[in-house]
Amino acid sequence: MTTTTATPTGGDRLVRRRARRVEPVYYLFLLPSLVLFTLAITVPGIIGIFFSFTNSIGIGDWELVGLTNYVAALSDPAIVQSYLFTFGFSLVTVLVVNVVAFGLAVGLTSRIRMKVGLRAVFVIPMVVSGIIIAYVFNFLFSNSLPAAGQALGIGFLETSLLANPDLAWTAIVVVTAWQAIPGALLIYIAGLLAIPGDVYEAADIDGAGRTQRLTRITLPLMTGYVAINVILGFKNFLNAYDIIVGLTGGGPGTATRSIAMTIISGFNGGDYAYQMANATIFFVVAVLIAVAQLTMTRGRSAL
Amino acid sequence: MRAGTRRTTAARARASAGPGRAASAVAGCLGIALAGALLTGCGPGDDEPETVRFTFSKREAIGFMTGVVDDYNASQDDVEVVLDTSGVDVVSASFVRGNPPDLMLANYNMEVSRFVERCTLSDLSDTEAAGGVREDLQPLMDQYGRCAGRTSALPYSVMASAVIYNKEIFAAHDLEVPRTWSELLDVADTLQDAGVTPFYGTFKDDWTVGQGWFDYAVGGQVDTLGFFDRLAAEGTDVGPGSATSFQQDLAEPLARMTELTTTYVNDDAASRAYGDGNLAFAQGKAAMYLQGPWALGEIAKTSPDLDVGTFPLPMTEDPDDLKVRVNVDLAAMIPQGAAHPEAARDFLEHLYRPEIIEAYNESQLGFTPTADAPPPSDPRIEGMTRYYDAGQVYQGASVLVPKTIPVFSYAQAIVLDEDPAPWLRSLDADWARLAMRQ
Repeated sequence: MTTTTATPTGGDRLVRRRARRVEPVYYLFLLPSLVLFTLAITVPGIIGIFFSFTNSIGIGDWELVGLTNYVAALSDPAIVQSYLFTFGFSLVTVLVVNVVAFGLAVGLTSRIRMKVGLRAVFVIPMVVSGIIIAYVFNFLFSNSLPAAGQALGIGFLETSLLANPDLAWTAIVVVTAWQAIPGALLIYIAGLLAIPGDVYEAADIDGAGRTQRLTRITLPLMTGYVAINVILGFKNFLNAYDIIVGLTGGGPGTATRSIAMTIISGFNGGDYAYQMANATIFFVVAVLIAVAQLTMTRGRSAL
Repeated sequence: MRAGTRRTTAARARASAGPGRAASAVAGCLGIALAGALLTGCGPGDDEPETVRFTFSKREAIGFMTGVVDDYNASQDDVEVVLDTSGVDVVSASFVRGNPPDLMLANYNMEVSRFVERCTLSDLSDTEAAGGVREDLQPLMDQYGRCAGRTSALPYSVMASAVIYNKEIFAAHDLEVPRTWSELLDVADTLQDAGVTPFYGTFKDDWTVGQGWFDYAVGGQVDTLGFFDRLAAEGTDVGPGSATSFQQDLAEPLARMTELTTTYVNDDAASRAYGDGNLAFAQGKAAMYLQGPWALGEIAKTSPDLDVGTFPLPMTEDPDDLKVRVNVDLAAMIPQGAAHPEAARDFLEHLYRPEIIEAYNESQLGFTPTADAPPPSDPRIEGMTRYYDAGQVYQGASVLVPKTIPVFSYAQAIVLDEDPAPWLRSLDADWARLAMRQ
């Protein structure tokens, strides 16, 4: 395609027409995933949205109730609070993850000893299952940290962070970030390695210092990677579930219940249709965020 | 027909092979499973025994029940009972698919009672087993909802719970079992002055707050049955202005609960869980522990010889108000859509034979719900027998709130915040909203 600009008019048209016709075999390649996606995601999704307009509890008879579930859901403080918590938590975690991962990536691509070994160490949290991480940290926060706090006489650490309704979310941010940093780190390392060395040489010749090199060269050239990490991370954190279940179970009280947890509660609580309405609202919100993020980042970076 | 079309889809998916191979294998299995579901209508031949699918998933008692089933199968050739221990979620799913089990023996709670309310269970009132069940338990069953004109479920095992106390610690400090609220405070003060933690709290696990502190405090002061009837009648009106509401009826009882939880529990209660509590209590680190009989087995694992007893938590000044918390740990049900209801009924009658139902409850520290059964002989739960026999029982308030309202979380928050008011307002609002939807 890129060569078309070099060839004159007649050949150009020919090439373009040929490129437009798609080999039918590609549609065959698409078919399995299209069928599976439709059966496993789209159809259940539509069924779920349909049931959000009923009073079904998952079994037995049901009838259409119109928008009742939506009206109730939007005025339900438990659901509203779970949205506020989830969005606040996701924003903070995205920030923490990306700042830390970026710093680590810069460090791990510079000329230091044991670079490869250190990279391996920092990536380990990514391969451990979230629920296991959560249970291990649960023990640390409930037993080890209070013991350390007592030994050192640090007042606010003496009781478990997880038992403090105002601070439990910080523990969740720490653990989630601990698990999410490696993924972001790998993308940042790849990005940093892709920056050609001659740009830095040119900067050196122009007399740029270390900080200037970071803010004027590295950061602008990394915006695409930052955008990817922020979008992917935010999307993942909105779905937060396993780490919260393992750490606080949504507690203390209802302080750390995420949206996913309230939706799941509809299945074992016999509140199927109501939480389907909640899930539909969440779906719409997620789509809006995705569209907003894409339009915001499209102009500036080559996504 | 439907299974047929699904199968061709799967076959097409399989034909396209490549990277989607594993996925298309899944699709293939799906098609076969759907085809299989259509075939389940076919029964066995005349000579083969009838198969009764019997679901039972109480982990601690699976060994006992396996023995009962094996004996029954060996005793006759007409019916083959198959024990299915896959759990309540699988049972719920089988109802949705229209393929329910033939006989269920399950914990009776808000989740199972959905089957009752939507009339998906058959009437058992004409069975012999139904005739032998204590009549005063019926209101407890009805509290979870009912299907008009039917006896949808029969109680099989009733668990009573109260305060578990360390008799050795009580004896060392010359303490009697308290029978009134002020006696309880005296006991707690005496223990605390002597450097003993009166109660062991495990507030990290919200259900322990719900079933213990919250339920005992409410049940000891409020007529739980009447309270929930009045709440149901108020429906969408429940709130600050209604005659009955959580914030009016439960504020006082829960103030007494927070008085206990703020003053008389271990310092680290907020970060201790159920397992920690069993261990600490077994090691004699506290004198009293608000748990059900299931914890006794765990405590015995650490200290088999520890001398423990039980007594109802006194919340008023009148010893006649003493009551124990009960729950129907197991109830027997035969779904309307059971494939072999007659054979299931035969096995149900077998399960209710005195030697079996009594041996079962004896082994699980439960109370037998039949009228002529002797009380359990285990000395650890002796302290509750008198109240159970006299019908001085209540069902926990926390299990009578529909599960969609996170009442355990609220109970935990009340204990940690030390202020019931905002959480009781949430309970009212949740209750009214639920009434509006259903």
